[in-house]
Amino acid sequence: MTDILPFLKSLLSVSGLSGHEAPVATLIEQKWTPLVDEISRSRLGSIHGLKKGSVSGKATRPSVLISTHMDAIGLMVTRIVDGFIYITAIGGIDSRILPGTPVIVHASKTNEELYGVIMIPPSDLLPESAGTGALALKYLMVDTGLAAGEVSKRVSIGDLVSFNTEPVEMTGGCVSGHTLDNRASVAALTICLEELQSKSHLWDVWAVSSIQEEETLGGAKTSAFQLRPTIAVAMDVTFGKGTGVQGWEGQELGKGPALGIGPVIHPFLHNRFKEVAEKAEIPFAVEPMPARSSTDGDALQLTAEGIPTMVLSIPLRYMHTPVEVVALKDIQRAGRLLAEFIASLEADFMTKIAWD
Amino acid sequence: MKQLLKTLTDTFSPSGYEDEIRKVILKEVKPLADEVRVDALGNLIARKKPAKGTKDAKKIMIAAHMDEIGVMVTHVDGNGFVRFTNIGGVYPRNLPGGHVRFANGVSGVIGLEPTTSATDVPPLNKMFIDVGADSKKNCPVKTGDVGSFERTFIDLGDKLVAKSMDDRIGCLVAIEALRALKSTPHDVYFVFTTQEEVGTRGAETSAYGIDPDLGFSIDVTGWGDTPGQKDFDVALGKGPAIKIRDGGMLADPRVVQWMVRTAEKAKVPYQREVLLGGTTDARAMQLVRGGVPVGCISIPCRYVHTPSEMVDYNDVKNAVKLIGVMLSNPVNLQLIVTL
Repeated sequence: MTDILPFLKSLLSVSGLSGHEAPVATLIEQKWTPLVDEISRSRLGSIHGLKKGSVSGKATRPSVLISTHMDAIGLMVTRIVDGFIYITAIGGIDSRILPGTPVIVHASKTNEELYGVIMIPPSDLLPESAGTGALALKYLMVDTGLAAGEVSKRVSIGDLVSFNTEPVEMTGGCVSGHTLDNRASVAALTICLEELQSKSHLWDVWAVSSIQEEETLGGAKTSAFQLRPTIAVAMDVTFGKGTGVQGWEGQELGKGPALGIGPVIHPFLHNRFKEVAEKAEIPFAVEPMPARSSTDGDALQLTAEGIPTMVLSIPLRYMHTPVEVVALKDIQRAGRLLAEFIASLEADFMTKIAWD
Repeated sequence: MKQLLKTLTDTFSPSGYEDEIRKVILKEVKPLADEVRVDALGNLIARKKPAKGTKDAKKIMIAAHMDEIGVMVTHVDGNGFVRFTNIGGVYPRNLPGGHVRFANGVSGVIGLEPTTSATDVPPLNKMFIDVGADSKKNCPVKTGDVGSFERTFIDLGDKLVAKSMDDRIGCLVAIEALRALKSTPHDVYFVFTTQEEVGTRGAETSAYGIDPDLGFSIDVTGWGDTPGQKDFDVALGKGPAIKIRDGGMLADPRVVQWMVRTAEKAKVPYQREVLLGGTTDARAMQLVRGGVPVGCISIPCRYVHTPSEMVDYNDVKNAVKLIGVMLSNPVNLQLIVTL
């Protein structure tokens, strides 16, 4: 198996905030092109890689769509006051973690990257309503170190601001960085495609890197509508066990991917993943999803006439912060499990999963 | 244009009950469009076909919603007082003392149950509409009747005030853009949508039916230029706003670029809009079928969702101009990789 770390690190080194995924899409497309038979983009910019299956004698092959969203959470400029840049969130951001974070302001007027830090205004300059606890996002500002006039010459309202923290390799096989949600899954799907180079599979595989998961699930919804797969799998990160996350809502890092179970998930697909994992001796956990999955899976299941859907998750700590942590071996295992699942799909699999 | 705006805003049509406004708009657009139809949800679709000999015309959908917020009667009590709930985003603090008109022409005033403090605003279920009746029997409205808020149109010169400026001002801009559009290389669908205020519902089905290549909505946005209002950098009179994002949609950067470049080339003033709450028909359009690149042109509007919504006439005229130039010229959406 190839070392996925360099590719994962390259994915973390570019932006690609929700709605503006082009920079990371280019990287993924380059990586996947030799691994698939056809590659294209949806009208909204999601990547569609097709690896053809080997079922013969039929006009249309059944297909499985794997959705790994490539968009990242981040920030956007709302207004500029005396050279300081006020911001809002793209995706879910907890403003408690922002003060002191290094960022890149993507200045649209000059098309340059400005390095900045998120600063916290002194409390005596804030209104009483701001309180004494963690500050709301609307009070925080980005300082680029430039004079006021210089900022206005470069930066416009609506410009993007992304995290500028380097990925860190930790002892014990973990990686920390921003946007491991969900580039860890993009890396896992890449491993799956590599595995499938030497594995025969009857079904067509649509490898999808979707846009806008963090805001609207719009990439998964529209790609599933366009491609109409027979079944679908959303791969995303889930809450890793750790301080504050000890109950059933969290999954252990390093103990394998988690198989979702709940109303969004087709039980037969869940069972097949389980069987395949046991047979291939890949460790896994079962993750209860009693309501929504909060992944692309929620959109995939409800597309068109409905699509049997599965959610596969990689445990991750400190979600939606610049220091998300995942275990590399969970990424490897998720990729391998996915490949084993795809290879296991028989030509008549759908007749086996029909409801009574 | 002001006279038409007065007619549009005077018209009664809460979400789901757009018959009256559809008649008004139909009368305007019928002579202007090549084709007019009404779909199953009541959306009015006016099509302007591409000029003869145009190759590869793109289908462009433009949505302006014709519904407005309002009320629905939940029950009438024994003394003839009308209890009600909201249709769309109705905020209690905007209601006391207001006038309501029902579909059957009956008017009433909004009263409040006593509160512990004179400055408290009770929730909607502690308010009622007094239509002058004294028993359930002689009350001229019944459970399920719908009403809209009444307020006279005021012309303050540059500034114009009315109820339902959201989004009759968008309807006006769409009608005037269609009127001005003599010839286009595109296949243009002006859609006057229903039920936007209750979840962008008309836009969703009309976009599915039209299956456009790209599109945008025309709607009102908020304002940041009155006392104490400071977290939003959009002002009245500085031009229509080109939406980058709102509470429910990230505008397609390619569509934003198309709008910005057109405005700069045509020397139309514009503002860049990052709105923190609320959304428009464009959200629904973006996610239909295989996805549609969309954006939104906003008319800055003060006091949105009160009965006295205010816009600047220059922003309206500039929006008509900008849309006219956009639709008169070819469009080629280019992927922006550098951002």
